[in-house]
Amino acid sequence: MTFQELILALERFWSEHGCLIVQPYNSEVGAGTFNPHTFLRAIGPEPWNVAYVEPSRRPTDGRYGENPNRLQQFHQYQVILKPSPLDIQELYLESLRALGTDPSRHDIRFIEDDWESPTLGAWGLGWQVWLDGLEISQFTYFQQCGGIDCKPISGELTYGLERIAMYLQDVDDVYELEWAPGIRYGDLYKRAEWEWSTYNFEQADVDLQKRLFEEYETQVAALLGLSEQKGKGGALQFDRAPLERLVLPAYDAVIKCSHYFNVLDARGAISVTERQRYIGRVRVLARAAAESWYAQREALGFPLLDTAAAAQ
Amino acid sequence: MSADFLLEIGTEELPSSFVRHALRSMEASAAELVRQARLATDELQIQAMGTPRRLTLRIHGLAEQQPDRDETVSGPPWAAAFEADGTPKKAATGFAKKHGVAVDALVKTATDKGDYVSVQVHEAGQATHEVLAELLPQLCQRISFPKSMRWGPGEIAFGRPIHWIVSLLGSDVVEFSFANVTAGRTTRGHRFLAPAEFELAQASGYEATLEAARVIVDIEARKARMMNALHSAAKELGGVLEPDAFLADECVSLVEEPFVVPGGFDEAFLALPDEVVISVMRDHQRYFAVRESEGGALLPAYLNVVNTAEDPATIAKGNDRVLRARLADARFFVEEDLKAPLSDRLPKLDSVVFQSKLGTMGAKVRRLESNANAIAERVGADAGASQAAARICKADLETLIVYEFPELQGEMGRWYALREGVEPAVADAIRDHYRPQGADDGVPDGLVSAVVAVADRIDTLVGCFGIGLVPSGSADPFALRRAALGIIRIALEGPIDIDLGALISGAHQSYAGDAKLKPAPDVQASLDEFFRGRIRAMLKDQHGGDVVDACLGAWDGTSIRDLRTRIEAVAALRSAPEFEALAIAFKRAFNITKESGRGAVDPSLLEDGAERELAERFSTVRDQIREATNARRYGDALKLVAQELGAPIDRFFEEVFVMVDDARIRDNRLRLLGEIADTVNGIAHFHQLGTKLQSRDPSVST
Repeated sequence: MTFQELILALERFWSEHGCLIVQPYNSEVGAGTFNPHTFLRAIGPEPWNVAYVEPSRRPTDGRYGENPNRLQQFHQYQVILKPSPLDIQELYLESLRALGTDPSRHDIRFIEDDWESPTLGAWGLGWQVWLDGLEISQFTYFQQCGGIDCKPISGELTYGLERIAMYLQDVDDVYELEWAPGIRYGDLYKRAEWEWSTYNFEQADVDLQKRLFEEYETQVAALLGLSEQKGKGGALQFDRAPLERLVLPAYDAVIKCSHYFNVLDARGAISVTERQRYIGRVRVLARAAAESWYAQREALGFPLLDTAAAAQ
Repeated sequence: MSADFLLEIGTEELPSSFVRHALRSMEASAAELVRQARLATDELQIQAMGTPRRLTLRIHGLAEQQPDRDETVSGPPWAAAFEADGTPKKAATGFAKKHGVAVDALVKTATDKGDYVSVQVHEAGQATHEVLAELLPQLCQRISFPKSMRWGPGEIAFGRPIHWIVSLLGSDVVEFSFANVTAGRTTRGHRFLAPAEFELAQASGYEATLEAARVIVDIEARKARMMNALHSAAKELGGVLEPDAFLADECVSLVEEPFVVPGGFDEAFLALPDEVVISVMRDHQRYFAVRESEGGALLPAYLNVVNTAEDPATIAKGNDRVLRARLADARFFVEEDLKAPLSDRLPKLDSVVFQSKLGTMGAKVRRLESNANAIAERVGADAGASQAAARICKADLETLIVYEFPELQGEMGRWYALREGVEPAVADAIRDHYRPQGADDGVPDGLVSAVVAVADRIDTLVGCFGIGLVPSGSADPFALRRAALGIIRIALEGPIDIDLGALISGAHQSYAGDAKLKPAPDVQASLDEFFRGRIRAMLKDQHGGDVVDACLGAWDGTSIRDLRTRIEAVAALRSAPEFEALAIAFKRAFNITKESGRGAVDPSLLEDGAERELAERFSTVRDQIREATNARRYGDALKLVAQELGAPIDRFFEEVFVMVDDARIRDNRLRLLGEIADTVNGIAHFHQLGTKLQSRDPSVST
């Protein structure tokens, strides 16, 4: 099964199981969770079932294209089922069968792995899924998102596409993967890995990243009307009514901040104490976007609740 | 005949640490609820067992029927309930109605506060299954987990989502529902090997039925089977299993039926240190290692505990591949690390934060060097080697392998250092200065290691106390209590004594220029108190809290071994027959002279008899006692006190009245007793020792 066949098989499987098939987010994200199709949609009462590929950037994981297992950009296949159905594990195992892997012939295990994104103010409980000792997926029940308690709970399935493909194709080097007949992963990404590693570790302009971080930070506040004053118990205050806030552009700017922070981190430009402060700053922005999203959907009357009711 | 009850809660895979935690709370709650509900018989047995996918409770010896209960309930005062002529008032009719009895049934009960209305209430016991139906939802609610989660609609919190509940009393379902799941008799077998649902006919025979469905429910039975499989697989590989209790507990909680699949790796990876190979296998993959023989060389093999083994070759192939990549990573890290000597990493420690107000690890290491040197000089260790070890002891924190496997800190530094040809005592200190790592760990054997271990801990303690980071209650984020305990244990069990006062002041001085600490006397005082508290906590069970306190009172806060010598001497005296009388006498001497002045005794004012005898005896042994005390021969000092002063001081208190009206005689007596008290107090504070008999002097407090 080529890399692209793997993607197509998952698209087909989840499409047949009631998911919207959408596209990756067109900005730098560290994981499929950052995509607004997950981060924002996991908030509030509206049901949501979606699946998509997400090219995910982890600047610190870059190895200049020299390590057979580590990449600064890899591909996740992300599935959100909200509310999480009771048969979500069976669905997941079924999806492995769709990839030609019979779970009963292998050793499949669900190993505790709690997930937390300090920048997104999000956390959940769940597992890593092991296939014959290889971690192939993350399985998370979201408990909080942007500091807001999730209700209902979203189930998130994240497939590590490179790992699964390496397993299926029986290769030890990611660059040897067949993306499509005759085209290897290395043909597409080996040079890219070297360039981005060099950029992230050596050449990214530190002052520029810092400035961009700050400007986007200001932008988030402006687009949401986020007040510098905090309310009781540190509650965020907004000068704009929910429907006047530009939640999506603001959240886009949050993603930018998170990305510039990651580059600065890889570049070694942030000390340990500064690191905590940066994370705290992004978390406040993510929280502001999350709360604004909720307020906006509420003001709109949570439209997808009606759609779901009508569908039933 | 009582029926067995069975509860099985089927869940998604619970984390291994959750299972035991939940089972313990289930067992305890069940015991409490059953007793409260009056369902316990003498044969009551409650057993909880489980796997990652089910929590099971079996109760044997439940009462067949809840017994009836007769109870006297008291109501309003009689006068408020009945007129003088016996006509019931509203309070009486209301009370009777509330308890479902006629007014005639109310009786008068005399109490301290007067006459009250009371009534005998009879409550008929319910059938056991009815009681259980009410109690089971509470029981489920009370199962606790290290962390709970919500799922689906998000209304219920539990360790993991619940899929089914079996609740059987004998062969009948006890109906209830919890987390939107209705209890019944349908269960499931192993997720992959026996996935079909099936019904349980009755509570008894549960384990055998589940075993047929490929689930070993009892943890110990599962573990025994797993260990057997591991040992025989190791034998088949021609070796023995590397024991690992933690890993065994972890693995047994990850499977419903254990299988062992062996695998292997390229022998060339055995050039890596054993610790690295084991860490890679254990921490990343949960594999057991295999050795040629006990304590012998590692074999290029591993044992993997799995949940299914329908196709062991495929499973082994996949695991081999993962392990190969992991070991290749580790080898890459070690090879990279070996490209430069350890000392090349030292500059990097300047960019690692030790504590935000206390500066970097680099600065800490420079302080360790000067402190290790000073400590070594004091205890007669090799100062050059100690300083060299201090300099290099944290360098491996900046190696790739330790970054990847933090638990190998020290171990890898030692390995790299030995390869560089560093002197073994210095290399050992890189590993051993972290010891003791806990109560079960020993102290370092080597002098140099002990010196660096002490320097490292006192630096942390002085720094944290110097900026007010003092442990409070259960909060001790820098593990300062453990650090202090480590120092005390090194002095008591290890190769060097420690002068605590000098240690603290040296460490404080070395912070000059690195961080602004509170003034030395403040830090000294608060740490002195902290250490005394730790010493007391550590030794009180063995020697008695009062003995430790008495010796701490006399101790000058320097040599820790000196304190131990005092404690042992006092503890020995304490078990001698003359102890009681001595202790009481010296307590009296101390208490009576607490406020009085000191000075030379005037022999001309001494009264013949007991007083003169005591004074003369004391003047002949005083210098010997002080000499022995100063030479830290506390046993000898106490022997002199007991033998020479015991009888005379007893007689003195029998026969001599101290507080006479004549001020000159009285003050002279107080000076005599004061000097004796001070001399004895130099060994231990006798007034802090507990005695069985109270002294006659009411001012003595014990």
